[in-house]
Amino acid sequence: MGVMLSISCQKSLLTPVSQTQVSDQDYQPFTTSARINSQVLGLYASIRQSTTSNATTYNSIFGGRYQIYNDVKADNWLNYTANSVTAYQTWNETVTSTASEVEGLWTAEYRTINSCNLFIDGMAAKGTSVVGSTQGAYYVAEAKFLRALAYYSLLQLYCRPYWDGNGSQPGLPLRLTGNSSYNNYDLARSTVAQVYTQIISDLQAAETGLPTNYADAATNTTRAHKNTAIALLTRVYLTMQKWTDVINEANKIVPVSAPFTASSGVANTLQATPAAAFTSYTTTESVFSMPFVNATETPGSQSALADYFGGLGSTEFYLNPNGVIADANWKTSDLRRGFVATKSGRGCITKFPTVSPYTDWAPVMRWPEVLLSLAEARARSTQSVDVQAVALLNAVRHRADASTTYTTASFDTYIDLVNAILQERNIEFLGEGLRNIDLVRLGLTIPAKGTVPAITSSDPRYIWPIPNSELLYNKLMTSNP
Amino acid sequence: MKQKLLKLFLILFALSSVAFAQRRTITGVVTGKQDGLPLPGVSVIVKGTKTGTQTGPDGSYSIKADPGQSLVFTFIGFNTQTVTPSSNRLDVTLSGQTSELNEVVVVGYGTQVRRDNIGSITPIKGRDLAEVPVQNFEQALGGRAAGAQVTIPNGLLNAPPVINIRGINSLSLSSQPLFVIDGVPSYTGDVSGASAAGNALGNINPDDIESIDIAKDGSATAIYGSRAANGVVFVTTKKGKKGKAVVTLDSWYGISKVQRLPKLLNAEQYVMMKNEALGNAGYNLANTYFALETDANGKEINTNWNDYVYRTGKAYSNSVSVSGGSENTTYYLSANYSNQNGILAKNSFNRTGVTANLDHKVSNIISMGGKISYSDEQNLAATTSGSQNGEAFNIAGLGRIPLVSPPNVSPYNNDGSYNLNGNALGLGNDKGVSTSYYNIVPVLDMNRSNNEVNHVSSNFYFQLKPLSWITLKTTYGIDYLYSDNDIYQNPYQGDGYPNGSATDSYTKYKRWVWDNTAQFDKGFGKNSFSLLLGNEQQRSTQRGFGLNRTVISDPAFNVIQAGWGTNNASGLSYGENYLVSFFGRLNYDFDKKYFLSGTIRQDEYSAFGANSKKGYFPGVGLGWEITRENFWHGIGADKVFSSFKIRASYAKVGNNTLSDYQSFGLYNSGLYNGTASLAYNQTGNPQLGWETSKKTDIGFNFGVLNDRITGEVAYYKNNISDMLYGVNEAPSAGLPSNPVVNIASMYNRGLEITLNANAVQNKNFSWTPSFNISFNQNKLTSLSPGLTSLTSITAGSETVSISQVGSPIGDLYIVRTAGVDPATGRRIFINGAGQKVYYQYYAPTGAYNWTYADGTKAPAITQATDAVNYKKTSPTAYGGFSNTFRYKSFDLNILFTYSLGGYVYYGTGAGLHDQRFWNNTTDILNRWTAPGQVTNIPKVVYGDNVSNGSTLPLDINVYKGDFLKFKSGTFGYSLPKSLVNKVGISNLRVYLSAYNLFVITKYPGPDPEVSSNGTGGNSSQGIDRNTAANQRTITAGLQVKF
Repeated sequence: MGVMLSISCQKSLLTPVSQTQVSDQDYQPFTTSARINSQVLGLYASIRQSTTSNATTYNSIFGGRYQIYNDVKADNWLNYTANSVTAYQTWNETVTSTASEVEGLWTAEYRTINSCNLFIDGMAAKGTSVVGSTQGAYYVAEAKFLRALAYYSLLQLYCRPYWDGNGSQPGLPLRLTGNSSYNNYDLARSTVAQVYTQIISDLQAAETGLPTNYADAATNTTRAHKNTAIALLTRVYLTMQKWTDVINEANKIVPVSAPFTASSGVANTLQATPAAAFTSYTTTESVFSMPFVNATETPGSQSALADYFGGLGSTEFYLNPNGVIADANWKTSDLRRGFVATKSGRGCITKFPTVSPYTDWAPVMRWPEVLLSLAEARARSTQSVDVQAVALLNAVRHRADASTTYTTASFDTYIDLVNAILQERNIEFLGEGLRNIDLVRLGLTIPAKGTVPAITSSDPRYIWPIPNSELLYNKLMTSNP
Repeated sequence: MKQKLLKLFLILFALSSVAFAQRRTITGVVTGKQDGLPLPGVSVIVKGTKTGTQTGPDGSYSIKADPGQSLVFTFIGFNTQTVTPSSNRLDVTLSGQTSELNEVVVVGYGTQVRRDNIGSITPIKGRDLAEVPVQNFEQALGGRAAGAQVTIPNGLLNAPPVINIRGINSLSLSSQPLFVIDGVPSYTGDVSGASAAGNALGNINPDDIESIDIAKDGSATAIYGSRAANGVVFVTTKKGKKGKAVVTLDSWYGISKVQRLPKLLNAEQYVMMKNEALGNAGYNLANTYFALETDANGKEINTNWNDYVYRTGKAYSNSVSVSGGSENTTYYLSANYSNQNGILAKNSFNRTGVTANLDHKVSNIISMGGKISYSDEQNLAATTSGSQNGEAFNIAGLGRIPLVSPPNVSPYNNDGSYNLNGNALGLGNDKGVSTSYYNIVPVLDMNRSNNEVNHVSSNFYFQLKPLSWITLKTTYGIDYLYSDNDIYQNPYQGDGYPNGSATDSYTKYKRWVWDNTAQFDKGFGKNSFSLLLGNEQQRSTQRGFGLNRTVISDPAFNVIQAGWGTNNASGLSYGENYLVSFFGRLNYDFDKKYFLSGTIRQDEYSAFGANSKKGYFPGVGLGWEITRENFWHGIGADKVFSSFKIRASYAKVGNNTLSDYQSFGLYNSGLYNGTASLAYNQTGNPQLGWETSKKTDIGFNFGVLNDRITGEVAYYKNNISDMLYGVNEAPSAGLPSNPVVNIASMYNRGLEITLNANAVQNKNFSWTPSFNISFNQNKLTSLSPGLTSLTSITAGSETVSISQVGSPIGDLYIVRTAGVDPATGRRIFINGAGQKVYYQYYAPTGAYNWTYADGTKAPAITQATDAVNYKKTSPTAYGGFSNTFRYKSFDLNILFTYSLGGYVYYGTGAGLHDQRFWNNTTDILNRWTAPGQVTNIPKVVYGDNVSNGSTLPLDINVYKGDFLKFKSGTFGYSLPKSLVNKVGISNLRVYLSAYNLFVITKYPGPDPEVSSNGTGGNSSQGIDRNTAANQRTITAGLQVKF
C-alpha cells in the first residue's frame, strides 16, 4: 500500500522550483547575501533601464532617456527625425497623456520605486538578518537613495514646480510599501511638498546610512555613497529654492576655497579638463553615472545619449544654432567648445563618442553641479556677489577656459552672478539633462526654438500630462491642469 | 481521496477472489456476422430468468447458468438468438445490419458502444483521412464533425490548423483540444523554432489511423478534468486483427498549385499608375519617376514576383504495413515515407516514420502489449512565410513580398547577377524614389530556416482480468520530441545583411504518462454497471539551448560551424510540469433503456498557483432510449425509429494550459557593470488556477428505418468563467507585469445537427450522404472590474480585433468609410460622431489633410476615437457535407465544407491599394481621375497609406467570409478480385483525389478560411494579413492489399 501511495503521486513535482529565475515566495530573493547584493545592483540597473516584458524602448530612465527628455524639452536642440518614438513630441511640446514617453517613463520609474519598496520591506523582514545589520543598513540606504532619485525625477516632469504655491500643487501617488500581487492600488496624489518631504527624508537617511566609499573607483561612480546622497540633496534643495539648505548640505563636503575637492568620503573633485570625465568614466568628477558594457549592458534601442546628441546613428536631434552655442560669452578658447562638432551640416556634441551600441556611461551627477549649486545658493541667499560663489563658478569656468578668470569684480550685481552661474550650468551640462529642470525650478519661460513656440510657466505644456493609463486604472488619480 | 480509492481497490480484490460454486460459468465472444467485429453491449440473459449481463468492449461476456438453461442474445439492429450452451465456451455470431450506433467509441481510459454512450462524441474513420494529401491528420478533420471548426491557417506546410470545438473557449489560454493518441496525451502545436512550421502531430501517418473520436460535451470529456475545456480528440491507431497476415501498400503522388491569387498590375500599368500618383503628390516628374526597362534581349521587363515565390508543388507518400495475428497475439507494423514539396518555394515536408504495435494474451487473465512509433520530420523553408502567428508584417514574408515588389524591375541584372541596391531590390530605371523591400530571389536562393523533429511515442500496458468482470490495467506511455532548428541568413540580402547570421537551436520535449485503472463491468438482471477507477500521472519537461553567430568570416560557408565573428545564446528554454489525477466513472443502464454516467476527477497540477493546486471536476450524463419503452411500441413509433435516445449532460471541466511558472512572482538575473544583478520581473498570483468551463448538453440521437438514417441533434451551452487575463493595474503600483488573474467570463452556445444515411444500399450501388451543421454564438460576459473591452494586435503592428463585453470575442475594430468623394476623389471617413471626414494625403499649403464636408479642418481620424465594433469574425453556422458513392467496383467520396455569417478582415487588400511603391491590384485602374467621376477607388497620391487602410483598419477591407469549399474528393476503382488474386493480391484499388479543388465565395482573397494569428490568437481570428495562399492539390493513388 505504501508503494501504491508513493507511485501514484510524486508530491515534490507539484511544486517545481524555477531553475532560471528566483521566486518571490517566502522572501527567497533575500535568502543569501549574494542574492541580496544582486538585488541592490538590480535596483541600480532598474533606474538605469527598468526591466519589463513590453515596450523596451521606453524603459530607459537614467540610462539616457530621462536626460534626453530634459534636454530636448528645453531650448538647445532642434529635432531632425520627427520621430514620435524618439521624443519628438516632448521637443515640440505636444505630448499627450497617451504619448509613449509619458507612459513609459512613468511606468519605468514606478517599477523602480516599487522594487526599492519591496527591497526595503524584504530587508526588514528577512534580509538584514542574513547580511547583518551593518551591511543591511548600507543596502537599505542605497534603496532609499534610489527611491528618492526616482521620485525627484518624476516630480520634474509630471508635476508643477515647488515654487508654484510652495509645493501645494498636486504631486505624485506616494508609494512607500512594496506591491507584488493583484490588488486595488487606487491612490490619490500627495502634494508636491509632501513628495519632497519624503525625498528629503529618504536622502537624509541615505546620507546617514550609506558607506563613505567603496573599494574601487568604478563602484564609487556606479553606487551611491555618502557624498552621492549629499550631492543629490543639494540638487533637491536647489530645485525647491531652499538656498540655506543647499549651503548647509554642500558645506558638509565642499571646502571653502579651491580646489574644492570633497573634504570627506570619496574625494570628488574637478578633473584637469572637461573632457577627462568623458574619456574615463570613473574619475572622481563623476559623482554618479549609469554604467554600460559592450555587448552585455547596452543602452537599448533609441535610448542612448550618443544616438540623440552625438551625431552618431540616426542623429535624432542637432544643436539649436540659437541655443547655448550662440552664447558669445562661451568663448572659442573654452575647451568645452571642443565638445561641439558638426556632422552633415548639423551641430552635435562629442561628449558621448562611442559608436553603436553606444556604451558611453550616462552621467547622472557630476561634481561641477554641486559646486555651481552651492554657488547659486550662496549668491541668492546672500543677495551679494559672494566671494565663495564667484570662486566656485570660476573653478568650473577657468578649468575650461584658461583665458577667463572670474573675480567679484566681474559682476555688478548678484543677479549678474546668478545669471552667469545659470549660463555656466547651461554650457557645462549640455546634453546631460539639467537644462529643462533649471528653467522650470525658477519659473523661467522655456524659450522658443525652431518652429516650437516659447512656453511660459503658466502654460499647461510647461510640464508633462499624467499618463492616460494611470488615470484609467488608478481611480483616485487626477490629471494635470 | 487517494486512500479511499486504494481501500476500495483492496475490497474489490478481496471480493473478486470469493469463489462461486455450483452453477457453471459460460464465457464467449459475440461478433457481428457482416464484419466479424466483436459486438459490445449485447444483452445476454439466461432464458426465463432475470440473470443477465452484457458483452464488454471486446464483445466478450461471462454469465452463470445451470446446465440445460439457454442464453438469449439480443442487440438492437440484430436478430435475437437463443442458444443452449453445450460447453463452458459459447461464441455467438449475430446477423443483421451493423450500424454506426453499434460501433465502439473511445471514451477516455476505455471504450464504449456508441449506442450506450450518452456523451456527445463524433467518430471519424481513419480511411476518410488517409487519402487526403496533408502533412498532419488535423488538417483533414475539417467538415467531418459537427461542432468542430478546423481552419487551415495558411499555405505553409505542416502548420497546425486552428481547431475550435464548439467555439473559442478561452481568451488567453489555448482553445485547442486535447489530443489523446492511443491513450497518451500528446504534445500539440508548432514545435518549430524556424520559419518552417512543425506541427507536433505531424509525426502520425494518416494511413496508420484507425479512427478518431471527437468528444465535445461535458459528459464525454469530464474524465479529462482540468484539460477538457476545449474538447478531447481521441486518436486510435491501427492494430492487428486475428488471421492471416495482411500486407497493405498505400501510395500517392500529387501536384499542388496556388489558387485565386490577386491580379496585379503589370509593369506598364504599374509605371503609369505610380507616376500618376507622384504627380498628384506634387513631385517633380522630371527627376522623380518610375520607368520601364528592358532585359538583355531588349524585351521589356515585366516581373511576376509570384513566379519566384510560388511553385508547383510535387509530393508523394508511401506507406506499407503488415498486420495479422494468431488467437492470442496480434501485431501491426508499418513504415511510411512522405516527401511533400509545397507551393511556396523551398517549403517542404519530409517524414520518415515507422510504427509497430503488438497485443498478446498470455492467458485468460493476463494480457499485455504496446506500441512504439518513431518519426523524423523535416520541415524545410528558406525564409519566413509571413503567415504564422506574429509574422504578418515581416518585411519579406512570402505572402506579402510578391504583392508589393515592383513589376518593372527584374530580380536579376542583365548580366545575370542579383539586382540589388544595398539591402533592397535595385531600382532599375526608377529615379528619385526608393523601393525599400528586399530582392526576395537571393533570399530564397541562399537562406534556409529549417526544422527537424524527431518524435518517439511509445506505450506499454499490462492487464489483469482476475475475473471476467474485473480488468486491472497499467499503461506507461512516453512522448519524446526533439526539435532541431537550422537557420542561415546570407550576408548579401535580407535579414542577414550585411554580416550574415546563423542560428542553430535544439529543444527537447519529454513527457511520460502513467495510468493505472481498474474497470468493473457487471450486470445484475437488467441492470448493467461499469465502474472505472483510476490514477494518472503526467510529467513533461522542456529544455532548449542554441547559438546565434553573426559576421561570417568567409561568405563561401553557410553553416554555423564555420568561422563567425560573434556568438550569442539563442533558443534558451526551460520548463517542467506535472499533473497527477485520481478519477472515477460509473456507467449504469437499466435494460438499455435508462442510462446514467457519472464522472469525477481530481487534478493536481504544478502550474497552478500555490493556493490553487487541486481541483475537482465532476460530470453527469443521463440517457433515455425511448424505443425500448412499451408505449413507444404502443403508438407504433418503433416502426419508424429503430432507436431514439434523449440525453442530457452537465459537467464542470477546466482549461489548464497556463505556462509552467505563470503563477510565480519571479526575479530575473541581469548585470550591473559586469556584476550579477537580480530584479523583479514577473508579478505572481498564488491563487492562479484553471479556467472553469461548465458544459451543458441536451440532445437526442435517433435511428430511422432500422438505422438506415441516423442522426444527432444537440444543444449546448458552455459557460466559461475564471478566464485568465493580465489585468491592467495602475502603473504607479510598479508591478513588473500585469497580474494574471482568473477573472473574465464568456459563453458559447449552439446547436449541432448531424444526419447520416445509407440512402441507397444494394449489391451494385450505394450512396451514403452525411451532413452536419453547427450554429455557435459566443459572447464575452465580463472582464476585470471597470473594463469593458480589450483590443488584440496582429503581429505586433495592427490592432484590428476588439473583445467587448456583450459581444463575441475578436470582433473587428474598424473605422467606417463612405466611399469616394466624386468632386475631389478623396476617401470619405466616418468619425466617431458619425460625421463625414474627407482625407487627402497631400495637403497643399493652407489646406488640411482632414476636413469636414464644408472644408473646415477636422481632427485626424484615429482608431481610439472613431473605430467601431464593426463585425464578428466567428461564423454563425459551419459544417460539412460528404457523399460516398459506390457503384460496383467504383467508389466516390466528396466532402464539401462551408461557413456562413462570419466576416474576415482582408488586411492584404489594404496593402494591395497602398500608394507607396507597392504594386496594386488591377482594380486600382478605376481610381478617381476627374471631378464628377463616381468610383470606389480614391485619387492615387504617392505615399498615401491612409485612404487604403494601411494605417487604420477600414471597412472597405472587411468582407463576408461565407464560402462553400470542395474540400476533398476521391474517385476510386477496385480492380476485379478475380484478376488481382491471380497475382497474389487480395485487393487493388486506384484512385484520383482532389483537395481544396475550388471555393465558392465572394471573398476577394485567395481563401477566406485562413488565419494570420493561427492558434496564438483566440481573440484575433478572422484576420487575413499577408497570408500565403492555400494550395489546391490533385493526387493519384494506389492501395494494394496482399
